[in-house]
Amino acid sequence: MTILAIEGLTKQFKGLRAIQDLSFAVERKSITSIVGPNGAGKSTLFNMVSGYLKPTAGRILFENREITGKAPHLVCGMGIARAFQIAKPFPELSVEKNVLVAATFGRIGPRDPQATTERAIEVCRLTAWRHQPASALSIGNLRRLELARAIAARPTLLLADEPCAGLNETETREVIDVLSTIRESGVTVLLVEHDIKAVRRVSDRVIVIEAGRKIADGTASQVFSEQAVIDAYLGTAAP
Amino acid sequence: MNATLLLQTLVDGLILGGIFSLSAVGFSLIFGVLGVVNLAHGVFILAGAYLGLWLKGALGLDPLAAIPVVFLILAVIGGALQQTLVSAAIRRGSLMTSLLITFGASLILRDLLILAFGPDIQSLSSTWLLRTYHVGGVVIDGARATGLLASLVLLAVLAVALHAMKVGRAIRATAQQSFAAGLCGVDSNWIYMLTFGVSAGFAGASGIIIGMINPFSPFDDAYWTLNAFVTVVLGGIGSPVGALLGGLMLGEISTLSSQYIGPRFPNVFIFCALLLMLIVRPNGLLGNAYKASV
Amino acid sequence: MDAFNGRIPAGIWGLSGALLVAALVLPFMLSPFQLRLAQQILLFGGMAVAWEMLGGFTNYWSFGHTAFFGLGAFGAGLLGQQLDPSLSVAVKLMIGMAFAIGLAFVAALAIAIPVLNLRGIYFAIAMLAFAEILAEITKTFDAFHGTSGFPLPALLVPGLTKVQLFYFLFLVLFLANIAVFVWLRRSRIGMGLTCIGQDEDTASMLGIPTERYKLIAFVLSAVLTAMGGVLYGYSLGFISTGSVFRIDISLNLILYTMLGGIGTVAGPIIGAALMIVLTQVVLGNLLDLHMMLTGAVLIAMVILAPKGLMGLARKVWDRRRGTAEGRP
Repeated sequence: MTILAIEGLTKQFKGLRAIQDLSFAVERKSITSIVGPNGAGKSTLFNMVSGYLKPTAGRILFENREITGKAPHLVCGMGIARAFQIAKPFPELSVEKNVLVAATFGRIGPRDPQATTERAIEVCRLTAWRHQPASALSIGNLRRLELARAIAARPTLLLADEPCAGLNETETREVIDVLSTIRESGVTVLLVEHDIKAVRRVSDRVIVIEAGRKIADGTASQVFSEQAVIDAYLGTAAP
Repeated sequence: MNATLLLQTLVDGLILGGIFSLSAVGFSLIFGVLGVVNLAHGVFILAGAYLGLWLKGALGLDPLAAIPVVFLILAVIGGALQQTLVSAAIRRGSLMTSLLITFGASLILRDLLILAFGPDIQSLSSTWLLRTYHVGGVVIDGARATGLLASLVLLAVLAVALHAMKVGRAIRATAQQSFAAGLCGVDSNWIYMLTFGVSAGFAGASGIIIGMINPFSPFDDAYWTLNAFVTVVLGGIGSPVGALLGGLMLGEISTLSSQYIGPRFPNVFIFCALLLMLIVRPNGLLGNAYKASV
Repeated sequence: MDAFNGRIPAGIWGLSGALLVAALVLPFMLSPFQLRLAQQILLFGGMAVAWEMLGGFTNYWSFGHTAFFGLGAFGAGLLGQQLDPSLSVAVKLMIGMAFAIGLAFVAALAIAIPVLNLRGIYFAIAMLAFAEILAEITKTFDAFHGTSGFPLPALLVPGLTKVQLFYFLFLVLFLANIAVFVWLRRSRIGMGLTCIGQDEDTASMLGIPTERYKLIAFVLSAVLTAMGGVLYGYSLGFISTGSVFRIDISLNLILYTMLGGIGTVAGPIIGAALMIVLTQVVLGNLLDLHMMLTGAVLIAMVILAPKGLMGLARKVWDRRRGTAEGRP
């Protein structure tokens, strides 16, 4: 069952075509990873899905409804939440209050902000820091706060933007475990990541993007043994 | 439509605009390089005018000749203000703190001017004025023409300094990326002090020119600060060319609306132009000379 | 929103009650001069609280709130002149008030939509420009009698002097301002507004309807300020551009709020009380110096106490209680 369908998506900036005719579908309750070299267009893709940027062409369908070009808070109201790579917490509010905001707003529908907040803090292993101001957190904790906030918005689809960037092995493993738990709870995860080991461990499916185009689509083992993918990441061997 | 009247009005607007440009360029620099809106700008201008008045009375110095002296004195005051108060505001982070601090400074400085020179309206006059020209039916007032010439010369000096001199490059580098500039050996604190001082100096110099053309009092400071803001919003932030463009636009709006709609109207049009520009293109026609536009 | 704001401690209710009783009794104990000071504190303190509804939460600092103050005064005053002269002054005031509310509502909506897209200093100056435009319009077109001004009929109630009467009217508006502010802060809208002040884009991404909330805060703030203008006009008995469209009113609202502590209820009121007493009583004879003192206070406060007096008080309180919670 498809929860998100990207059809012929294109984004043209003034001199750069960041995304070129991209199409793929994301299965419900899966973890689908988007990988690709830097500058491939992954963040642009997320920006368009979450409503921050308008596509130049193409369609985005979420739960069979068209969301192409809708404003960010409306997209969030429909059930898509995003955890940013550069964490953007509300700096002066505590961890708990940060999460509470997402629990109070987020996806439109019946809500129980207190309970949602509790669960999100627990799942993301932030209980020890709940009263700290967000500005005091280390980067590993900040990433998990991003995830906590995102899931407190009660999404059906979570966009996780390089949550493991800059983290060590242990921190990475923690984040991956949190993502698995999130999938268990019924939320679909669309993950952008550079850490191939992490991607292999947690993904149901991997899509590889290079220079704005899709070059591979399948399970992790299928995709990472394709020549095109190896060339894109490592470059071709010198003659 | 009377062609001569139109031409006269346009010429008047250009002359006025040139003078506005000089009076605004310091404000523009501080905004561009430090990101600070200096609400004490108008007071610096008036301080220049009053200093010119005092130098004339005490030393018999002609106001035009006094310009370099006033420039230096104001530059020192500006630099000192930046080192003490403004840097404290910047350290505290928010944009608003520098606004409040410069506003507080302007209140204090203005009251000092009142205490020192009295609240009455004064004016300056120079013996080196150009005579009044008549060109094809258009009258070019000597005092104003002198003021325009002096303004353009000073603007040109600033433009050259910013682009050709090493310190000018350092200023531009700091404005774009102060951290990276620091890594290249530019002391941003020194640059900020220099920029603020130079800007205050130019404000003071323009004060003398303004004082020669218009009567002035310590209560005019808000008008000149606002004028500078309008100039910057219209023309662009951080560059003398932007200040020139904005000043000329402001001058033309003033004279044209005053002549053709009514002498009570220029302010309405100026503020409408400001509001419109803020809504459409807040960084002015030329944008921010140092950074990507907001 | 108790979890976000915390329940109001019983002590605060008690203190408020006591203050209210004191406020009701005061007019019969103070001299007319002192009472007029109290009037000013209630009026401008209350309007500073209204200003805070936008600026205190969202960091959209309007430098032109006198626009609504003047709009309210002129709107009610000019309408009053057109009404049937046989109507009592009280009725004229009420009709004028209703008109001013409607006028401010419409004007706020009209200006908010383009202007709330601007951030930081640009928003501040745009509001300043808006205020100046309105002021200039009243000066330029004779229909508004801006330059010469026009008188308003005196409002009299048997048993109270004029000063006492307007004290009570200002008190009612003051209480309304506080009530609206506290309600706003404790509502979902208030939570959203606080987040807009922290990081507007992220707030939007979390599902907060930022444009709508900013508009609500802006309109509330504008309407309450306009109501203050109506009462002020009637208390002066005279309306002119110079008396109600004053840039120093706009700036004072910000100053009082900053001095007392932005984001709090008591802050603007304490700030207003302090500055009004300081400039009118302490420096009453040294008129020349009172701007200088305002400037010095401003600078000292920004450098030493950026969160105002309430912020200082909170720091001391927190240290005593040993809490280190992240507070907004």
